[in-house]
Amino acid sequence: MSKRPPPDPVAVLRGHRHSVMDVSFHPSKSLLFTGSADGELRIWDTVQHRAVSSAWAHSRANGVLAVAASPWLGEDKIISQGRDGTVKCWDIEDAGLSRDPLLVLNTSAYHFCKFSLVKKPKISLKEDGGHSKNCDEQDAGDTRDVQCTDDTERAVEDSGVLQDGDLADGATYVAVAGEQPSEVELWDLSTGNRIMQLPQASPGESSSASTKERGMCMAVQLFCPPGSQGFLNVLAGYEDGSMLLWDIRNAMIPLTSVKFHSEPVLSLCVASSCDGGISGGADNKIVMYNLNHLTGSCTLRKEIILERPGVSGTSIRPDGKIAATAGWDHRVRVYNYRKGNALAILKYHRATCNAVSYSPDCELMASASEDATVALWKLYPPHQSL
Amino acid sequence: MAEATKHEGALEKKLLEKVGEAISSIGDAKHVDEVICAIHSVAVFLFPVDPSFFSGSIGETYRERVCSTVVPSADERDDWSQTFFRGVSFPTFARVLLLDVASDWLSCFPVSVQKHLYDLFFLDGPVIEVVQVLVPFLHHVDKNGGVNANSVQTNVERLLILCLLENDGVLKITKEIGDCYGGENSSSGSLKPLLSRLSQILTCIPDKARLKAPPLLSSHLYFKHITNQLLQILDDKASCTEANSTAIILSFVGEIFSRICRRGLSDLLLSEVTPHVLAHVRRLLNSKEGLFEIEAFQLDPTPRIWSKTMEAVTDPYAVEKMAEQLLHQLYAKHASDVEAFWTIWTLFHRNVKHQASLRQAKISFSVLECPPVTNTLAKGDITHELLETTQRLASVWSKEDFLRSVPLEQQTYITTALGLCLENMSKEELDRTKDVMHNILRGVSCRLENPGDLVRKMASSIAFVFSRVIDPKNPLYLDDSFTGDAIDWEFELQTAEGRVRAITSSMGNEDGETKTSASLTEVNDSNGRNKEKKSRKSKEISHFVLADPDEIVDLATLNCETESDGDDVDDNASLSSDNSSVTSLEPYDLIDDDKDLGKQFTHLVDVVGALRKSDDADGVEKAINVAEKLVRASPDELTHIAGDLARILVQVRCSNITIEGEEDSAEEKRQRALIALLVTRPFESLETLNSVLYSPNVDVSQRIMILDVMAEAARELASSRTLKPKHAAHGPLISDISDPQPWYLPSSASTPWKKVSETGSFHLNWANRFERELQPKPGQTKKGKTRRWSLRSRDRDQNSTDWSQNRFPLYAAAFMLPAMKEFDKRRHGVDLLGRDFIVLGKLVHMLGVCMQCASMHPEASALAISLLDMLQRREVCNHAEAYVRRAVLFAASSVLVALHPSYIVSALVEGSLELARALEWIRTWALQIADSDIDRDCYTMALSCLQLHAEMALQTSRALESTGGSSSSVGPMNISLPSAISKLTSIQLPSPNVHL
Repeated sequence: MSKRPPPDPVAVLRGHRHSVMDVSFHPSKSLLFTGSADGELRIWDTVQHRAVSSAWAHSRANGVLAVAASPWLGEDKIISQGRDGTVKCWDIEDAGLSRDPLLVLNTSAYHFCKFSLVKKPKISLKEDGGHSKNCDEQDAGDTRDVQCTDDTERAVEDSGVLQDGDLADGATYVAVAGEQPSEVELWDLSTGNRIMQLPQASPGESSSASTKERGMCMAVQLFCPPGSQGFLNVLAGYEDGSMLLWDIRNAMIPLTSVKFHSEPVLSLCVASSCDGGISGGADNKIVMYNLNHLTGSCTLRKEIILERPGVSGTSIRPDGKIAATAGWDHRVRVYNYRKGNALAILKYHRATCNAVSYSPDCELMASASEDATVALWKLYPPHQSL
Repeated sequence: MAEATKHEGALEKKLLEKVGEAISSIGDAKHVDEVICAIHSVAVFLFPVDPSFFSGSIGETYRERVCSTVVPSADERDDWSQTFFRGVSFPTFARVLLLDVASDWLSCFPVSVQKHLYDLFFLDGPVIEVVQVLVPFLHHVDKNGGVNANSVQTNVERLLILCLLENDGVLKITKEIGDCYGGENSSSGSLKPLLSRLSQILTCIPDKARLKAPPLLSSHLYFKHITNQLLQILDDKASCTEANSTAIILSFVGEIFSRICRRGLSDLLLSEVTPHVLAHVRRLLNSKEGLFEIEAFQLDPTPRIWSKTMEAVTDPYAVEKMAEQLLHQLYAKHASDVEAFWTIWTLFHRNVKHQASLRQAKISFSVLECPPVTNTLAKGDITHELLETTQRLASVWSKEDFLRSVPLEQQTYITTALGLCLENMSKEELDRTKDVMHNILRGVSCRLENPGDLVRKMASSIAFVFSRVIDPKNPLYLDDSFTGDAIDWEFELQTAEGRVRAITSSMGNEDGETKTSASLTEVNDSNGRNKEKKSRKSKEISHFVLADPDEIVDLATLNCETESDGDDVDDNASLSSDNSSVTSLEPYDLIDDDKDLGKQFTHLVDVVGALRKSDDADGVEKAINVAEKLVRASPDELTHIAGDLARILVQVRCSNITIEGEEDSAEEKRQRALIALLVTRPFESLETLNSVLYSPNVDVSQRIMILDVMAEAARELASSRTLKPKHAAHGPLISDISDPQPWYLPSSASTPWKKVSETGSFHLNWANRFERELQPKPGQTKKGKTRRWSLRSRDRDQNSTDWSQNRFPLYAAAFMLPAMKEFDKRRHGVDLLGRDFIVLGKLVHMLGVCMQCASMHPEASALAISLLDMLQRREVCNHAEAYVRRAVLFAASSVLVALHPSYIVSALVEGSLELARALEWIRTWALQIADSDIDRDCYTMALSCLQLHAEMALQTSRALESTGGSSSSVGPMNISLPSAISKLTSIQLPSPNVHL
């Protein structure tokens, strides 16, 4: 078989005037949210490929660091994080942002760690044995995206409507590196209060000291593993390349600590099945790992060596088949998530890529880059008949 | 003594009486026999005449008179003849014999009389005297007309051949000299000028001989004979014991040698001399085997004789020529190194020792002195000499004056000599010498700055040899092209032709076309060649210039051609994976390159910004890569940013940003970007470049680059072509006469008719066929492959468009005037007239290119005067460096080409003499260059400049005639005309007296 040339983007969304920092799909509508380094938050129509609205979500000087939407919060809400020490929750009215945010969390964090909403697996009837975890809900496909899953098996179209009663408390949490950059803080978006910090500061404990040595928290992923009775786990990557897995029931000590990277971990993504994930850092490695929630361990599954270092964003498609990374070398790389082999090297952007994200229906992938463009790609579309 | 003198006086008196009688009887003679008698009456006193040889052929009465003459005794005869030849009697009588007798009677003489009586006077007398008498008559022009010049000259020629060539006159002369010398020691002082005169007389004979003189007197044969005689003399001298007279004879021989060389016959001379000497050398080498050769050679008389002879050759030119020819001859004779060495040694070793000033000679020796030295001699002896030689060579070589004032051939000699000397030196020896190291470094550094390729190559060769002496393991390569172990000194020994070609080619690079007048007259030509040179570049340029103005230039495509390549990605392909399971995910082509990595610029502002960040090498390099494309796209912002961009492009240091070995490409890109800038926004960028040109912030290389770029841009502007729709002459506007189509073509065609090309002319071919393209029927659509050419054929395209050429004249003033304004100001870091002469040369050259580009336009005429003003400055036109002079010649030639004759005419008619004066200056100055310049290129360029001047003058005078004819009726015009015409005629004398 002769190799096909890598495809071009199906659409390029232009309009941002600065580096696009983050990109996130709406959980159910054909909308795309992007935030740029000059504080602009844009909403795009992914069918018409047009900007629907634009608003200054954060100050021009600080810019938007991350955006995410979550079905847990409702279809009309969107969360944005700025480098001004705030996380804001907005209402979407007529496909435009509300004039004022619904809620502002003053996290006083001024670092580069993008926040994370809860990601939950869709638990099928044959829970772990099932190879295919049908995703009826959408992962907002970024590293820090929302995963809303239902116990009930549903089709794609009824996504994001229901919540499990058990999980209701934790579902609106957001994880973000805290005022102390080595700590991870959990905030409740429904109340606007800080719930806890990891490691929990308590006298006589040495764990807090141990994360300080690891440096700043660079990436965080909040997820709800199956069988945890709704208690959230947090996977956090640190400046020294190590990753810690926490169970919020035990905020003192992490469940496990692994070090796959030699440079700061820049991006983490847990698959929607919550049994594994992918991470990228400032070194020339992409690591795929397994999470075993029974033993509370994290094991290396596949290590991919890159020609050029620097992965600033990773994302796993909700169906868990493929994963994508956004590289400093302007490339978006696509991998077979199961086997770990490379599938495509997408060259379009003319500057560093900041983020990649898959649409909840697995059709589209969006990549955001410093060249102020957002590219939409259609690769390996999922099986329509299912 | 007094008696002897008295006796001599008496004899002289007597003789004079006799001669007088004889002359008068010759004058009165009515019959040939009377003449014979008279001659005999004199001859009988001087020579042992035997009348029986010729008595049979004269009349009875006279025979008795002849036979009955009293014959003096042999002793008496000697006295007589000595007195006769030394005094005035011989010249007097010879005059009669050569003029009157020869013209009137000689043809009547019987052969025997002529041979045994008449010729005696010239063949039996002392050759010294005879020659002095004979030679003046070779050229005799009789003023009275009473003498038959032809027979006189034929006779003299015959006598000379007999005397000098057939009777070995030169041999005799030396014998006579020896006798004289032996006889009266006191007169050796007066002998010297006599010999010098004699040698001059001897060597000038072929020049004085008439064209129809016998072939023996032609210079070739004549000198061949003379040389043979001289060689015989030398052999004689070598074989016999040394007499007092030897020295003077040898110096006589030497002088003749040198005069022969002076007459340009060194090849002839050496072709005789070399085998002779070589034979001696071989004999010595063979016979004295086992002995130290040097002793053998010093003891043997032959080399001594030879070297003394050569010592007499004091003329440096002759020595140089001889040395050169000797080398050629040795090569032709397949002499081995040792033989060659000894030959040269034999001939020249005294010259080397005693005449240090003879550099030319010395060089050739030191060239060949070295190999045998190391081979055959105890080194110690020679080392000293070698060091001394090296020292002298180095001191000469290092001087800047030497570089400027000596022709290239000589420089190559010296360089070769120095190089070979250095090759044979060791570090210790080098340390012992005083200044050699310093001198060499100085010489190398001043050569490396020189614009000439060959000169630089000399410097790098010497530097290489020198560095090898210092440290054999770590030789210094100054020249990339040169990587070998040993230097090929051959470049020095190239034929003159090759050398010139090398120079012209290097000059060609800089000056474009300066060599042939033809190319100068056709600016387009030169542009064409220029295009060839940079074919790739111009292709690109034309690509952009040709582009349809309506075409949308997408900056993105300009920048990321690679990305846009994959437009045809089929969605089907990705769809096909639709149904595939996870395991069958088919990877795409994973080929990855980093071509596009790094920042790509789409705005010139970014380019300028990146160029300013000189610490970001990658950024600068990328900016340079895209700069030209962006500039050619000519975005709106270019107008505002052109100045900044030009300045920063000049200031970027290409060598800093690129990796080793790629400086050239970056440099080229930078220059092309500048050219593009100058072409697209001339005024804005020129303003900046001109201000930068003389600012102290830039160095010489940047100034040169600016000037180069300006010249290139001028050429491009001049040859640029833009596509314009032609104003179609649709139908006659006023009359039917101006119908654009010939009458015989069918009319009212929507597309023009064309004749089908067939062999045979129009009138011979009865079946002329015409064709045209039909317009498509309504509704009929054809799909073209590209938008541009879609439905229009090429033919039609050409018909409907117009190529407008040469946009340069519009900008000519902006190119030239600011650059000319301040060139002579000496500022901090700027000294065009002195140190930075290369910049001056480039400047003048650039101005010349500008003139060419504007040629035949009115602007050229306006600018020519100011340019010529600049060229006329003495510091410019008589600059010490040949490089500048060449540039000035080029510029002057360009002016001659660029001026439209009608403009010159109108300037003259209007009485503006400024132009006339300037043009006249070009002529005189070029003449002067052609006459006296040491640089060969200057010479040839001056000649072609003169040619152009003549051409220009011719065209002008034609134009003037037509003007004169028409303006005679106008009236006021011809008031100033006569003076103008006289001025013009003084301009145009096209140098008939140039000796080519």
